[in-house]
Amino acid sequence: MGTLSNIKKFLRNNLIVVIFYFFSFSSFEGIKEYPNLLIFSFNLQMIILYFYVLKFPDSLGIGHVFLAGIINDVVIGITLGTSSLSFLVLIFFTTYIRNATLRSRMASEWLAFIPALFFSNLVYYIIINNFSHMSFYYVELLRSTFFTFLFFPIFYYLFNNFEINSERDNA
Amino acid sequence: MADSRDDFIIAIRYALLKKGAKQKFSIFFLISLSIFIIALDKQTYPFLLTTRAVLNDFVYKVAYVASTPGKFVGYLSHLKQSHFYIVDENKNLKKEIQILKSDRYNSIFLQNENKILKKNLNVGNITTNEGDTAIPARVIIDQESPYLRSLLINKGGKQGIFKGMTVFSKGYLIGRIVESNFFTARVLLITDLNSKIPVIIQDTDANGLLAGAGKKTELKLEYLPDEFSLEPNKIIFTSGKDGMLSPGMPVAETYLDKKNKVKIKTLANPTQALIVYVTSGQLNK
Repeated sequence: MGTLSNIKKFLRNNLIVVIFYFFSFSSFEGIKEYPNLLIFSFNLQMIILYFYVLKFPDSLGIGHVFLAGIINDVVIGITLGTSSLSFLVLIFFTTYIRNATLRSRMASEWLAFIPALFFSNLVYYIIINNFSHMSFYYVELLRSTFFTFLFFPIFYYLFNNFEINSERDNA
Repeated sequence: MADSRDDFIIAIRYALLKKGAKQKFSIFFLISLSIFIIALDKQTYPFLLTTRAVLNDFVYKVAYVASTPGKFVGYLSHLKQSHFYIVDENKNLKKEIQILKSDRYNSIFLQNENKILKKNLNVGNITTNEGDTAIPARVIIDQESPYLRSLLINKGGKQGIFKGMTVFSKGYLIGRIVESNFFTARVLLITDLNSKIPVIIQDTDANGLLAGAGKKTELKLEYLPDEFSLEPNKIIFTSGKDGMLSPGMPVAETYLDKKNKVKIKTLANPTQALIVYVTSGQLNK
């Protein structure tokens, strides 16, 4: 019984890391069957990163983020290190926001997500343009960034509730 | 003024160098490591290529397993759609079989006529297909990202698949191998922005480059002759000017969209491909 509860506790504490790795490996095969939904595609990894670095910085190790970024690059087929650098820039920016903010409010954090996303995508753009010969779909990237920003409050609420319940269970 | 600047620098330095209670690395260290890896990825030393191939093989296999739940959702959706549309499809296929049968007879007649004409003109047959073999491979991941429209297949260098080889699905060209590892390979689809195929348009002598634009129904023709206007319902064939693909392979067709604009779509459906055939570029089977 004790072992089971320990496993449950371990999984609950590390669920976000597992989800983060899963999104790096996964290519969302199922969603392609619904082309209309693809319009609303967004980058959940960015939302997870921003939320957890801002609110629960010890839940998601940045070493894991770095490794997940490398995996993401291999799966997508772009220059190794691109996603990692982009994620780390987002973390850097978020850490700065966390240190500079005295009272955290969802609305202000949501707005601060815009420059964080901007700098992160800028790094992406610069690396793809200068370190590879690829052309890419600017409109899709812009759309994905917009929906990432738009859906942030929904996931903010979900992740916040999840973390509050986890803390209550652990206590 | 100086104080606020100092605060800003301190906050930046703190964010870059400070490790959290449970963090093992600083952001600065990992950013430096990422930049180092990006620079290293541009190099082509043999040991780096081997390492990258091993890493790719491992990640692709895990990614295949990770994409299974998504594939199951896709399978269920496909099952539902096929249930509703199978009767219509059956009717259409019957009609198509009738048309194809009549086309086949025409084709046999034309072949015979062609042989006779060639014999009379003393022109020998060009047999480019001889000795070329098609390697069947299974699609393990169908990757759509803002950067690449590509497929990952379960065969690589060990099975004789190398960079530059062409890939067919159901008899139609769908792309080329752009990366070959030991046991896996990546296919760049013809719908990708980076794909360029020299083509010729049916009933014309207009040559151009067929480029992808991300969607199956939105290909583009580049470098067409000046004042050339594209007509609907024309088949686009490979011209073979790249020296890789044999000429005369149907790749795409023109059509009228809802706004009566002439557009180009692929004949194959690369995103639906499950089994593909990899050749050195001369085979249309």
